[in-house]
Amino acid sequence: MPDKKIFITGNEAAVLGAIDAGAQVMFGYPITPATEILQGWVAKAELSSAKAEVNTKLQYLQTEDEIAAGFGVLGVVLGGKKAFTASAGPGHILLQDSLAMAENLRLPFVGIMMQRGGPSTGTVNFSQQEVNLAAFGGNGDGLRIVYSASSVSELYELVIQAFNDAWQYRFPAIVLGDGYLGKTRSTVLLKKPNQLISIYPILEEKTDATHLRNCYSSEESFGTVLKKNIADWNKNKSAIAKSETFQTEEAEILIVAHGLVASAAKEAIVKLNLEKIKFGLFRPITLNPLDSTPLKEVATKIKKIFIIESSLNQLSRIVKYELAGLPVEFIEIAKPAEGFTPEEIRKAINDQ
Amino acid sequence: MAETEGSIIDSSPRQSEAQNDTNMELATIKIILAGEGGQGTQTTAKILSATAAEEGFEVAYIPSFGVEQRGSPSIAFLTISSNEIRYPRFDKADFAVILQERAIPSVAKYVTPETIIIFDSSTVSSKTFRAKKVFGIPATKLASENLTPKSFNVLVIGVLSQLLNLPAEKTWQMTVQTLGKKFKTEEIKEKNHQIFLLGKDFKLEEDNFTEPTFVPQQGAIETKGEGKRAIIIPDHCKSCGICIVKCPFGALSFGKKLGLFSMPIPEIDLKKCTACDICSRFCPDGAISIEKEKLD
Amino acid sequence: MDNFSPQSWNKNSKPHLFCPGCGHAIALKQLGYALDELGIQQNTALGIDIGCSLLAWDFFNVDTVQTHHGRTTPIMVGYKIAKPQRIALAYMGDGGAYAIGLQSIIHAAFRNNPVTVIVINNENYGMTGGQLSPTTETGVKTTTSPSGKDTKFGPGFKGPELLRQAANEKAFIARASVSNPVQLKNLLIKAIKNQTENNSFSFVEVLSICPINWKTDADQSFQRLKEMEKYYPIGEIK
Repeated sequence: MPDKKIFITGNEAAVLGAIDAGAQVMFGYPITPATEILQGWVAKAELSSAKAEVNTKLQYLQTEDEIAAGFGVLGVVLGGKKAFTASAGPGHILLQDSLAMAENLRLPFVGIMMQRGGPSTGTVNFSQQEVNLAAFGGNGDGLRIVYSASSVSELYELVIQAFNDAWQYRFPAIVLGDGYLGKTRSTVLLKKPNQLISIYPILEEKTDATHLRNCYSSEESFGTVLKKNIADWNKNKSAIAKSETFQTEEAEILIVAHGLVASAAKEAIVKLNLEKIKFGLFRPITLNPLDSTPLKEVATKIKKIFIIESSLNQLSRIVKYELAGLPVEFIEIAKPAEGFTPEEIRKAINDQ
Repeated sequence: MAETEGSIIDSSPRQSEAQNDTNMELATIKIILAGEGGQGTQTTAKILSATAAEEGFEVAYIPSFGVEQRGSPSIAFLTISSNEIRYPRFDKADFAVILQERAIPSVAKYVTPETIIIFDSSTVSSKTFRAKKVFGIPATKLASENLTPKSFNVLVIGVLSQLLNLPAEKTWQMTVQTLGKKFKTEEIKEKNHQIFLLGKDFKLEEDNFTEPTFVPQQGAIETKGEGKRAIIIPDHCKSCGICIVKCPFGALSFGKKLGLFSMPIPEIDLKKCTACDICSRFCPDGAISIEKEKLD
Repeated sequence: MDNFSPQSWNKNSKPHLFCPGCGHAIALKQLGYALDELGIQQNTALGIDIGCSLLAWDFFNVDTVQTHHGRTTPIMVGYKIAKPQRIALAYMGDGGAYAIGLQSIIHAAFRNNPVTVIVINNENYGMTGGQLSPTTETGVKTTTSPSGKDTKFGPGFKGPELLRQAANEKAFIARASVSNPVQLKNLLIKAIKNQTENNSFSFVEVLSICPINWKTDADQSFQRLKEMEKYYPIGEIK
């Protein structure tokens, strides 16, 4: 029997993704536009608590702040269950404390960040300004997997992917959405996961006790740890990195965009390609690690690349780094904290 | 006055005339709803979009509002299509539903001369619009007269089900499903059903629009007598009712005049009032003041 | 004479954006009368938190700064160090005070920083749509306690009582209610004087109503407030 289409918001899709990924615990704090993820999880947990075994029932804690929420997630994963948190903006900033620990100790932290206007309290609505935070916001070198969802159904899929990647590769995983996506109610067909990575306690409960440290006395001993983490990152990054190309086969000009802006760009490209010059879209699905091989492949045939984002060049910096040295012209179209409609993208490109 | 038969669009979204770009565009309708926080704009959008989704259309609905819970523009973007909808917001609306005059600046940029406007003629002046097609319904007036101003959005849902050619019974069921808890008794539910049907069957005004009288009275309302002077400022009054419950003498009650949210504001019986100042002390909005008249 | 509202209220920002029947606005009115009576409007700096309190950013004819959630107290502590002659007020809700901002308030009370902290307690996170907060009482339904707040999440949090334990003996700590606006105004005046005359910390929690998220009308709101007053004692906490 075919799966039925359902009509859900991005935030509801995030909750369904976490449940279908096997998550058991959520920590959270009210913050627009992610609050509905906590509320949705709480509602599901209350439904589940009546019937489930203690070992499989869904649990949650609304903490005193996002710092406690992030460290709560770490506590749960140390005990061998899948846990996550959801936040945005200033809450995402506070989560950097626990993310740094996750990065260092290779803990499977999963966070869903619904970007809002920044800096500071900014707006509660929308932005793509938390890319830096998600990828590089701690006091380390950014060994975090960052995904960017471009639709309600993809948000569901990427939440599941985040849990799988975090538990398989042991890097913290952040799914970036935004306030528009969280609130958009859309007809979707959810693709259920094929496979889920199993859980295991990280404080291993064996006779030989586990000793986890994140503080080192000498640069050299810490350097050894970092080198190993970096080696693991480099070994696995091409398996982790994901991207999508759209109408790039005959494209003369490339657009690079992520998240909901990429969805608007697709719509704009459909209109633009009715005219002579052909456009294509490269859409990173992971922002970190960036899927550089297909990006370079597409970019080598191109003279001009438009990088379009709702931040001041946070995506652009990542893209330009990967394409450094290529004889291509970059045009950055940046609208921090404001969205782009397909028509606005089309107009911005035509104006250039 | 011309009568409109059936719905504004000829049939389903597949034959919308509004967009002419490509064949694909013909299959999509874009609707913007503009109200104020507390009016039920988002609930209306949610119910209509959910009904359209049940009917098998591709639907995207996204609300747009600020941080305030009440009293500032509440906008909804609704896209109904036969094709995949990639992005939930748009630049030009095929339909604009105007439920609150103060929300108009927030949606002005989405309205073109081609946009079909549906507006609450009991609170918004028809002279505001220059579109080709403008349709009015005195929604606040009808809701207030038939049931309560709070059922305003049920009426609007009825009207829009007519407009969008959504099956009436399914739209009503979706309304019950969504608002069920607010229909505390069978009687209230049935009365709301009547309001829904009133909206659904309403022949929209195309000219000779109802006068927009369901608006806050301007200035101040002064009541004098019994050695006292009471002043109420309607466009500061949010009809919260606190002064009424706090008055130790029962001198205040909801009257007929309207306040900031087009809801009734208190009127005073100066025979019962002692100018104790409690109402003024409590009023969260500084909308009422009583003083004893000075004797010359 | 204008009997509608305090002199210190900024007429240009009225009607304000607080909900119909909001307890914040009742409290801000008494705070306004307190500023009027003390004549300190020109000499006051007001810090507000993130949550419904943020709607007061242009509410008074008083220098005002919107801060970060839970960080209003440390900002006003800093401000007072720079400007010891001015009056520093920190205004926030129960979430900003007792969840994310609790640590900072305890330390300000402990150090006896001469700032005045005002906490509007309506037992929920209002601006985000009515989630439970530390002061939500056991059994109360909110959007994150749909079956009623479970005891495992703690009973209603008694902030002033906790602070009294940690605070310097010269600190002034009290709880008021919007059910008694005159008493509220007088406690606010006493609190501010503890800053200006005794150079000490002061704290006033104000029991308040939230008709929109409580889904109550005017009468029901004050009924619930009356119940709250049975659990949260009013008056100075000595």
